[in-house]
Amino acid sequence: MSSSLPHALTAHWKKFLVLGVVALAVVWSFAFIGVQNHENRQALSVLVGSLFWISILIGMLLLTMITRVFDAGWAPLVRRNWELLIVALPVVLLIGVVPLAFLTDFRHALWDWTDASHVLPSGHTVGHDPILQAKSWFLNEKFFLVRIALYVAVFGVLVTLLRRWSFAQDTDRTAGHTHRLHAVSAVGIPISAVALTMFAFDCLMALSYHWFSTMYGVWFFALSIRLALAVTVILTYKLSNGGWLDGLLNQAHRHVLGCLMLAFTVFWAYISFSQYFLIYTANIPEETFWYNIREIDAATGLKSEWWSVSMYLIFGFFFLPFLSLLFYRTKIVAGRLLTVAWIILIGGLVDLWFNALPRQVYDKSTPEGFVVTPFLTSSLLLDLAAIIGFGGIVIALFLRGAAKHETIPVHDPRILESINYHE
Amino acid sequence: MNERNERIHGVACTFRKVSDVFHAAEKVRDAGWKNWDVHTPFPIHGMDQAMGLPRSPVPRLTLLGGVTGFITGCLLTWYMNSYDYPLIVGGKPYWSVIFPFPVIYECTILFAAFGTFFGQFIFNRLPRHNHPLFDLPNFARVSDDTFMIVLEARDPQFHLDESRNFLQSLGGQEITVIRD
Repeated sequence: MSSSLPHALTAHWKKFLVLGVVALAVVWSFAFIGVQNHENRQALSVLVGSLFWISILIGMLLLTMITRVFDAGWAPLVRRNWELLIVALPVVLLIGVVPLAFLTDFRHALWDWTDASHVLPSGHTVGHDPILQAKSWFLNEKFFLVRIALYVAVFGVLVTLLRRWSFAQDTDRTAGHTHRLHAVSAVGIPISAVALTMFAFDCLMALSYHWFSTMYGVWFFALSIRLALAVTVILTYKLSNGGWLDGLLNQAHRHVLGCLMLAFTVFWAYISFSQYFLIYTANIPEETFWYNIREIDAATGLKSEWWSVSMYLIFGFFFLPFLSLLFYRTKIVAGRLLTVAWIILIGGLVDLWFNALPRQVYDKSTPEGFVVTPFLTSSLLLDLAAIIGFGGIVIALFLRGAAKHETIPVHDPRILESINYHE
Repeated sequence: MNERNERIHGVACTFRKVSDVFHAAEKVRDAGWKNWDVHTPFPIHGMDQAMGLPRSPVPRLTLLGGVTGFITGCLLTWYMNSYDYPLIVGGKPYWSVIFPFPVIYECTILFAAFGTFFGQFIFNRLPRHNHPLFDLPNFARVSDDTFMIVLEARDPQFHLDESRNFLQSLGGQEITVIRD
């Protein structure tokens, strides 16, 4: 019994591919036109859309490696879906972040520090900014592009190795693959930790390069795992209702995923609050401005719409999932867990918006010398289109992989333990 | 219930195999018993369901403790920093939810831990220095190689002879009457 027939669901991969390609064509066209007109909001849509999926996939890559290292007995059944999905990580990097970084117009539009003629709120240009000059050993274009290429290479190699040996086990039934994957994961976790931290610095924190937070990488890690778990819950729900997990996924699997969602909800709040708390307490202008532009309208001194977004993060992205997940029933009843997963997925997008969108735009008519880009614009729809576009590609690759490989790791030494997992 | 029965704690019976005690427990559950227990040398997976046990009520006391701790933390920091001895530190407000949050959060954790720890004491009826079961000569073996089901006399279904016969019908081996 080598290879079973591909599941009927996998036949839909072409539809998702078409959807992804069409949506991405639209979003990239808008981004090209925008950049020609010296606007960067459309390019930000490409960035937000790709980062949304990259964070999900980085989270899944880490969960794959962590469950390997800890020999998690519950994991093999769920992990195969992560292995089928993470092939999209290097792909989304290559069609999202890489062109944004390597095409000069896009790079200059998104990352102000790369454009020497960009005017800062002080009225000076980036080229004459002493803060940038002090950071130029790290923030220079050559090194930036090398780093972006390194992220693709590091994640690409890890994804390839983790998938190759896991799939090889399906046919040659060798337990040695499990030991090999254990070793790859043990080495891969610290490497990925450094890579994702630097990735978060380069792609998100450097969007406003005067600001710095040493916790930013940990925040991105927490967000990635939360989003990855939310997608896992949604996906396994779908796959256990007419997919290849039909009758296999039980209450104990949901319980363990629910517990992880609760743990990382708390961890995300801990990191996000600590970052705010330290900056609030120290009260240094170089740091506080980042939160000020997300709270106060510089022109009027009143709370801006970004303040509402931050309140949504506190109550909608922390308290709501946290308080719901405290209850045992939320973690085991499929419908309730699914609802919380959607809340976390939406909150994660809002968190990305909160981190990526607000920018100080030079405007000498205002007392502070700048205005902050607004939140509620029609461009949010373009962000959603970008998410659908990259998502279409991710799901197409996932279904294509599911047609080619076993959807259950039939010869994983722990597969029986995983299928019979109980609380 | 006659006078003789009131001095009886219950009836115990031993089993030699996990599967025997497991299925016997299911039958006791299905017969509608409320005051009874299973003693085993090691945890048996699925025994909670086989016994029909509800989930532990301890988490409710944990939540209660956590909420109490949160409120205590808020009041504590507000009283000290804003009411009893108002002091401006670093240009921050006398009291807000931000600067004392580590204190509030630690109080929440501490009181939730108190709720859990003392909650399990309450629901396990601890501390308790002796138990009628300890007088059973073979009770020590349930921490070694024997499984035991005990039907307690305080259950409304309890009747000495019937309960003994019931345990016999479940395949129990040594049946002993436990006296208080």
